[in-house]
Amino acid sequence: MTKINYLKELIEIKKPFIIYKSDKGFDLYTDFSKKIILSNNNIKKFINKATQFKSKKKETDLFIGFFGYEILNNLIGVRIKKQKGLKFPKGIFYKPETKIKLKNKLDYKFLKTTNPKKLFKVNINKASYKIIFDKFKKKIKSGETYQIKICTKYSNETQIDALDFFSRLVKTNMAPEAFMINDKNYSIISCSPENLITKKNNFITTKPIAGTLKKTSKLDKIKALAFFRKNLKETKEHNMIVDMERSDLSRVCKAGTVKILKKKIVEEYKDLFHYVSLIGGRIKNNISSLDIIKAMMPGGSVIGCPKISTLNLLNNQEKENRNIYTGSFGYIKFNGDMRFNIIIRSILNYRNRSEISVASGVVIDSNAKHEFNENYIKAKALIDLYK
Amino acid sequence: MIYIIDHQDSFTHNVVHQFESFDNVVCDNYNKINVNKLNKANVIVFSPGPGAPKNYPISSSIYKKFKGQKKIIGICLGFQQILYCEKGKIIEQKKIYHGYQSQIKVTSKKSLFKKNRKFNVGRYHSLKLKEPFAAKNFEITMRCAISNTAMAIENNKEKIYGFQFHPESFLTENGNLLIKKILSA
Repeated sequence: MTKINYLKELIEIKKPFIIYKSDKGFDLYTDFSKKIILSNNNIKKFINKATQFKSKKKETDLFIGFFGYEILNNLIGVRIKKQKGLKFPKGIFYKPETKIKLKNKLDYKFLKTTNPKKLFKVNINKASYKIIFDKFKKKIKSGETYQIKICTKYSNETQIDALDFFSRLVKTNMAPEAFMINDKNYSIISCSPENLITKKNNFITTKPIAGTLKKTSKLDKIKALAFFRKNLKETKEHNMIVDMERSDLSRVCKAGTVKILKKKIVEEYKDLFHYVSLIGGRIKNNISSLDIIKAMMPGGSVIGCPKISTLNLLNNQEKENRNIYTGSFGYIKFNGDMRFNIIIRSILNYRNRSEISVASGVVIDSNAKHEFNENYIKAKALIDLYK
Repeated sequence: MIYIIDHQDSFTHNVVHQFESFDNVVCDNYNKINVNKLNKANVIVFSPGPGAPKNYPISSSIYKKFKGQKKIIGICLGFQQILYCEKGKIIEQKKIYHGYQSQIKVTSKKSLFKKNRKFNVGRYHSLKLKEPFAAKNFEITMRCAISNTAMAIENNKEKIYGFQFHPESFLTENGNLLIKKILSA
């Protein structure tokens, strides 16, 4: 049986599975023997227990899944007031028994069309966005935050064929941290470009992105780099993220080991150029997986800076639950090795609703109209999948 | 031992790592001070952080208690915290510097650093010192080469030092040397 037919069968028999981008293609995880739904009460126990074995024997000796935004706030002691939302779980992890390698090209023909009846609705219109924007700009002037990302959410009533969506998404927007989860009562697809934690033995790296440029026929890698370097706003945002990630890593790394391994380089993807840095360090003795997760999550580059005070400003503002958005997806192996991304450019489908959240940054020299439109452009790439 | 008071900043642990290359460091949140360790420290460092010095009365009282007894170093908000305790006014500035690399200049002969030396530093500040400012034994020793904004203060008599810029930022040239010199002063 071909691998695509195998995938089709998983869908037909309604067997949950996860696909995660690997170096050369994708990894498919299925045959889940355990499913752990996370709450504020069991998350610490889960992380500690997941890595208690110290060694990993099989490729499937790992837990794969996601932490939502709210549970990550709670983990670092940042409170969120009661919000509206889908009542979607705060986090879910699975123990797979089967792992299969897939090629980069997913030749999957969709089973059913999924045109939604109505247009996607945004939760904050242009006028209210401007009000929030101006309020945060004042907070920057008074020094309470240096950079803050306003999140807007587009939603609609619809069902999706997640594998069809994912196949089409990676055709146009292949991203190094792309993933999908297909479970009985929900699905997530994402073309996240951003790796938050890669940990192997005692070495850890993070790869923040700050600065994105759409490809055109006139643009190459060198010209893209020149653009980012010339652009003072992008440069300042990027600098801030680099110093913030250095500091987050320094919480768990040995003094003197935190280094910028790649400083402000351009990476080329199918449709985009990203301005990225790679920062790494050696983990101190007696640091647990929980310590690492608490130091790094939620990922700073999609929140703003400084983290705690900026999270508090955001949480006082936001009326709706972010669910998975700006949380983290990835896996934690029995021996403590980890790979986690930042969940952005994602669709959550639950209870016949699709949610697409996007955010863009307010720094002192940004413009409300521009950032609002930027958010729409980011969402549109995903909304277009419903056509 | 160096005691770093963290004003919940996302740069504090860069400061911790920088100081750790010279001495043992203990770092606590500004509202969870370990009095025992604070008393034992030779050096107190006030970290960067969000907001204004008036939001951190605990840090102000620590400064006043240990001024003249222990070496005190302030970075960014910590720099402003020292000035605020010395009756300086901290105000919003028109042009805001966040993630900005700019050139500063040593402007005083009384500095530990050579007068007229210029170097590039990383800046993350919304607020600044309102001038004129004067306090006994304090000297403004570094300024922004373009805007002239106060960038460092030194009080070599009571061993109090402050930087508006971030010596621990990757944008600052020779930040380690700078800290080394202050610690051995």
